Amino acid sequence: MKEKIIGIDLGTTNSCVAVLEGGKPEIINNAEGERVTPSVVAFTADGERLVGRLARRQAITNPTNTIASIKRKMGTDHRIEISTDGKAETYTPEQISAMILQKMKEDAEAHLGGKINKAVITVPAYFNDSQRQATKDAGKIAGLEVMRIINEPTAASLAYGLDKEHEQTILVYDLGGGTFDVSVLEIGDGVFDVLSTDGDTQLGGDDFDQRIIDWLADEFRKDSGIDLTNDPSAMQRLKDAAESAKKELSSRMETTINLPYVTADASGPKHLEKKLSRAKFEGMIDDLLQRTIQTVDAALREAKKTSDDIDQVVLVGGSTRIPKVQELISSRAPGKINREINPDEVVAGGAAIQAGVLAGEVDEIVLLDVTPLTLSIETLGSVATPLIERNTTVPTEKTKTFTTAEDSQPAVEIHVVQGERKMAADNKSLGKFQLTGIPPAPRGIPQIDVTFNIDADGILHVTAKDKATSKTASITIQDSSHLDDGEIERMRQEAEEHAEEDKKRSELAEVRNQADQLVYAAEKALSDLGEKVDGAKRSEIEDQIRRLREKLDANADAAELRLGIEELSKTSQEVAQQAYQQAQGAEGGSAPEADTAPSDEGEDDGEYIDAEYDEK
Amino acid sequence: MSKRERETIEEPDVQQLQPEAGAKIPTEGIGSESVEAHALVERIQRLQAEFENYKKRVSREASEREDRVVNQFLLDILPLYDGFQLAFENYNRDQDAEALVSGAERIFAQFEEIFTGKAVARIEAIGEPFDPAFHEALLSLASEQKKNTVIEEFSPGYVRNGRTLRPSKVAVSQGPSQAKEDGQ
Repeated sequence: MKEKIIGIDLGTTNSCVAVLEGGKPEIINNAEGERVTPSVVAFTADGERLVGRLARRQAITNPTNTIASIKRKMGTDHRIEISTDGKAETYTPEQISAMILQKMKEDAEAHLGGKINKAVITVPAYFNDSQRQATKDAGKIAGLEVMRIINEPTAASLAYGLDKEHEQTILVYDLGGGTFDVSVLEIGDGVFDVLSTDGDTQLGGDDFDQRIIDWLADEFRKDSGIDLTNDPSAMQRLKDAAESAKKELSSRMETTINLPYVTADASGPKHLEKKLSRAKFEGMIDDLLQRTIQTVDAALREAKKTSDDIDQVVLVGGSTRIPKVQELISSRAPGKINREINPDEVVAGGAAIQAGVLAGEVDEIVLLDVTPLTLSIETLGSVATPLIERNTTVPTEKTKTFTTAEDSQPAVEIHVVQGERKMAADNKSLGKFQLTGIPPAPRGIPQIDVTFNIDADGILHVTAKDKATSKTASITIQDSSHLDDGEIERMRQEAEEHAEEDKKRSELAEVRNQADQLVYAAEKALSDLGEKVDGAKRSEIEDQIRRLREKLDANADAAELRLGIEELSKTSQEVAQQAYQQAQGAEGGSAPEADTAPSDEGEDDGEYIDAEYDEK
Repeated sequence: MSKRERETIEEPDVQQLQPEAGAKIPTEGIGSESVEAHALVERIQRLQAEFENYKKRVSREASEREDRVVNQFLLDILPLYDGFQLAFENYNRDQDAEALVSGAERIFAQFEEIFTGKAVARIEAIGEPFDPAFHEALLSLASEQKKNTVIEEFSPGYVRNGRTLRPSKVAVSQGPSQAKEDGQ
């Protein structure tokens, strides 16, 4: 096992650490069980050193010995004077940063269960040499060999795998808790070139919270005449409520901020209840957002690029979850917006990928492909029955057992299709073949194992095997996973658009199968029972069978078929019951089976599906 | 319908394995050792893929489990919701203020019962030494109390199984000496 190298996003407000596990970055929880750690260090009166959430909680009682945002001081001559119990000590920004790094290191060690000695650390793209050197030194003080310092926007692009694509221009928009950065990068042949950076070191999500807090306090003053701003308890509740309202408005159009008993006056307790719509919130922060867009423009100008040149946009920082932010960016840089990865974790994830490359882990593990779309075979009623779901990592193998749809069916046709639609015809056909020479047997009896085997190169081998005769037939499909992205996307979208209608169609197919099976079973029962069925019942059933058949032939809808199924199954049950009673009453011997259900001993999923037999 | 499908008989996969870049292994006349190596590579890839698919399944199951846990908790607190609904339905503004309060008290008792059942405990704060593991300082005030003592609790905090669910929001004493200084 190679030595693990961790990736650390050493942020101004929060830090995050990740490691490559099985070729994918995994965020490491800290000792407090959280995925990000506040970049705050404190020295308490009894000489204890606190890092992270605990340091932040005590900041107000210990302001002179609590240090936040040390990143802003990296690479400067700034010194931090700490005096605890009369003892004064001086620290450099590197030393304070080292304390944060050390916690990240220890938390990673606890998680991975071994010593960690090496790390990749990210810095803003605008950091100069001395700031980078200071960051490297901080790592050294923390007991970490810093294998590489990489730019935060580069790390974010790495996390999205953009280095693996063709040469392109990327805009990274990073709106964190308290800082805002824009970078324009060019990537080609795995080389990242920072064309320009811009930003605002005093703008972030906290400012958005503050706007909501101000509005709430203002509204409350208008309604009740009470000023909450001098009440620390009420203000804390406002702050918490503002932050959660902001988060909620990313997924909802309106939220209610409800703070019962927020304060009291002579007339009694006062409650705060305010509705805040997304539009209203967007109005509150519009000037701040416009400022970020102006910064984007400035960065583009400096990079000598226009918005049309941007191929990809990468979103970093929790505030990029705000829909308006995404909307504004796409209006300005209409490239493809990457936002699938948690924007708080994407930089650490990218650092872990770089770390994995340096550790040789990425070379060692050949990154495996996934199946971009579901692979299925066509079964009775033209339904696509999946064998390998989309997003399954290959190489892989799946087997399902199928059976015949007709009595004495001599062959089955295996039609392999690809796509997310429920009906086979709507998916892409990859190939067909037949397995012939099935010995005559009633429908539902033969067992045919169909195996899908995709090798590491994405080549799909489909084999059908009749269990009784061990006769096999197979087909090899070369390009099951190498579709171009556009085609995959189109097929997925189609599936989504047609989801409702597809569901109806597959339900109809299912009901048709059910009707077909019932007709078959009822006819079989009639012939098996012979004279045990009295004439009247017999003609009743025959009549119902005929009607259900007609409905099937006339392509009746599901509801109508269900009616026919219901009436026929009721009558056949009556008949079966009658026959049993007669048999028992007459001789107590064994009654013939009225309805032979296919045995249920599938190998893989215990699932039996009639493979369609094309009779033409 | 055409009967001329691409049909092949099952054959060993060995030949289809692509050798890694840089390691050109001759495909003809390969010795038993390289065949074995190919088989091993294939086995590793299959294991790796299986592991990937396992991880996907586990993460899917984890989110399903999370959903069940949330549902279970909602079931636990639904009686409280029902209780409040009944209380308001039966409330007549003119007569029943007292009844409403006593009803609310019962619902609250029910709530405490649930919390106790879930091992949720309230964090001691006032008079205790300030501890950032359990308390969050909103204010630091001059007082006659010993320095770093919690002197006021704005909102209570809770622990469960040794982990802080939410810290108490508190005011902390700056101690008497500072109080004197501030007074000057």
